[in-house]
This record gives sequence, structure tokens and C-alpha cells, in this order.
Amino acid sequence: MSDNGQPPRAPAPFSGEDMARRRRRSIALALVLAGLVVFFFVVTLVKTGPAILNRPL
Amino acid sequence: MSAAFDTHTEGTVAVSTGEARDFFALLKPRVMSLVILTALTGMATAPGSVHPVLAAAALLAIAVGAGASGCLNMWYDADIDALMSRTAKRPIPSGRILRSEALAFGLTLSVGAVLVLGLVANMLAAGLLAFTIFFYAVVYSMWLKRSTPQNIVIGGAAGAFPPMIGEAVVTGHLGWHSLVLFAIIFLWTPPHFWALALVKSGDYARAGIPMMPNVAGPAATRRQIVLYSLLMAPVAVLPALMGFGGLIYLVASVTTGLAMIVLAFRVWRRTEGEPAVKAAYSLFGFSIFYLFLLFAVLLAENGLGLMVSLPKVFG
Repeated sequence: MSDNGQPPRAPAPFSGEDMARRRRRSIALALVLAGLVVFFFVVTLVKTGPAILNRPL
Repeated sequence: MSAAFDTHTEGTVAVSTGEARDFFALLKPRVMSLVILTALTGMATAPGSVHPVLAAAALLAIAVGAGASGCLNMWYDADIDALMSRTAKRPIPSGRILRSEALAFGLTLSVGAVLVLGLVANMLAAGLLAFTIFFYAVVYSMWLKRSTPQNIVIGGAAGAFPPMIGEAVVTGHLGWHSLVLFAIIFLWTPPHFWALALVKSGDYARAGIPMMPNVAGPAATRRQIVLYSLLMAPVAVLPALMGFGGLIYLVASVTTGLAMIVLAFRVWRRTEGEPAVKAAYSLFGFSIFYLFLLFAVLLAENGLGLMVSLPKVFG
């Protein structure tokens, strides 16, 4: 509910510029997530060292 | 603090239109660059070594943690940021990011950074990072900033912790080296911020922040700037006397330390009109260069093998 007791109104439809901004933001988020995958993979390799290969197949 | 930045007029649902660069701005990138430099110097001057990949990962976690605390600061201070010329263009007061988004972003990054640092380094480093975030976001932003003219003196500790976190990453404990680096940043903070506060006292008064010039007056602030500079400059020479700063550091810290004292005295003596503003801006600008230089030289000497060793006096 909004301050005046009425249900909140839906926002105005996105403009072309708004959509472009949200798209750029989504792409940036995807890149950060991909970077985190690589980050955790490399850190795990370094932390575990050669022992990472020492496991039953 | 108010919720004004999350509710649009006439009961419309607020929708964020912030871009990646707005979220990046929430992390206070310029402060983050200083944190990266000082934490890296803390690592380089620590007695020991760490795998370069883990050092880089730890540094990233420290930088993100510092950025997260800056984000939480902007979340809490959005109301007063809107009143000051220096901060009115920040992402929340300018309406590009919602307060709720900034809070979620800051908390997520804080938890993530502390967990990652605990995993790649150790619990002491992670605990110190968590304490630093808490100190800046809660102790400084929520409590000290709006309640005492000593806000930036005590709050300055938050900015001084990164070298200690850096040393903890490498050694797993704390030693004298990082304590001295902590002291340098801690004593540097008051002259740095008060030089700016002298010029921007109108801004701070409008926002109701009890900065030293607004509470104790410009004359008392100028005196304290000189006192802190006189304390800071000799402390900044300690690394050279304790054996983890070399000849280049000794020369750099003595000459620029003297320059800081000269500029502080100039602020003290020039109290009226344009010369006073110029003197304050000169000290503010030079203080940034001074801190970057000290830590960059220490980093180069310890990390790049440029150290020309001096006889150890103590430590």
C-alpha cells in the first residue's frame, strides 16, 4: 500500500532507453557471474594444489 | 535517514534504472583504489609470502569488502548526501539507484567478501575485514558521523585497517609493521578531511553533520590540523627506522612529511578569503598524493626489490 492508503500504481512502461539500460545491466551481471566461476575454479586449483588429481575415478 | 529515496510520488511503484556503472559508483572506487594500495603494501611488508594467485584473490576480497562498506554508507547517508554539493550526484540521491537496491547490494557483497577472504586466506583476515565493514557502516556512518566532531578521527580507523588485513593474509597474525602503517593512515585522516571540511563547512552545516569546523570553529580546526600533521610526519618515517622501508622511503617520507607540515602551517596562518580556501585545497590535494606516495614507495621497495637497506634503529 502507498502512503495515501491506495494500492501502488504500476510503473510507466519502459522506454527504449530504459530497456537498453536494463539490457546493459543484465550483460554486466552475466559477465560478473562468469568471472566468479573462473575465479572460484582457479582459487580451488591453487588452494588444493596437485592433490586435486588425487581422487578415486 | 528517511525512506524518501524508495517511494515515488503519487504511490507509483519505484523501478530501478541503474546501470552497472552506477552500482560500481556505489563502491566508492577512489577510496577502493587507496584500500587496494594500502592492503597490498601490508602484504608486501609482512614477514612471509603467499601464493600470488591467492594474494590477488585476497586483495579482490578486501577491495570488494571496502566497496561494500562504502555502498552501505551511501545507503544510510542518502538523505544527507542529497543536501551536499559534493555528494548530491551520487547514484541514490540522483535517483538512479533505489535505497533498497543499495542495501541489498552492500550486504551481499559484504558477506561474499568476508566468506571469500576466509576461504582463500584465514579467519583472522576475514574477521578483520568483517570488523572493518561493521566499523565503517555502523560505528562511523550510523553513529559517529552525525553525533560528534571526532567522527572522522575515530572513524578513520576503518580506513586504516587494510594494511593489517594484508599482513594477516600473509602471516595469519598481526605484527608491528602493519600497526605502524595503521598509525600513519589513522593520523593522516584528520588533516586530510578537516582541510576539506574547512572549505565545505556550509555543506556540512546544511546537512547537520557536526564536523570540527562547524562545532569547534575554524581556528580550533586549523590548530588541530597542525597538531595531527606534526604527529603524523615523524610516525611516517618509522618504516625506514624499523627496517621495512629503505633509503628511497626515508627520503620520500622526510621531504613530503615536511611539505605536509608546511602546508598545514599555511592553513593555520591564512584564515580569510581566497588564500584560506587555496591553502586548504592545497593541503587536501597534497595529502592524497602524500599517502599514495608513501605506500607506493614501500610497495616498490618491498615488492619489486628496490630496497636500499638502512641500519635498523628499532623494531
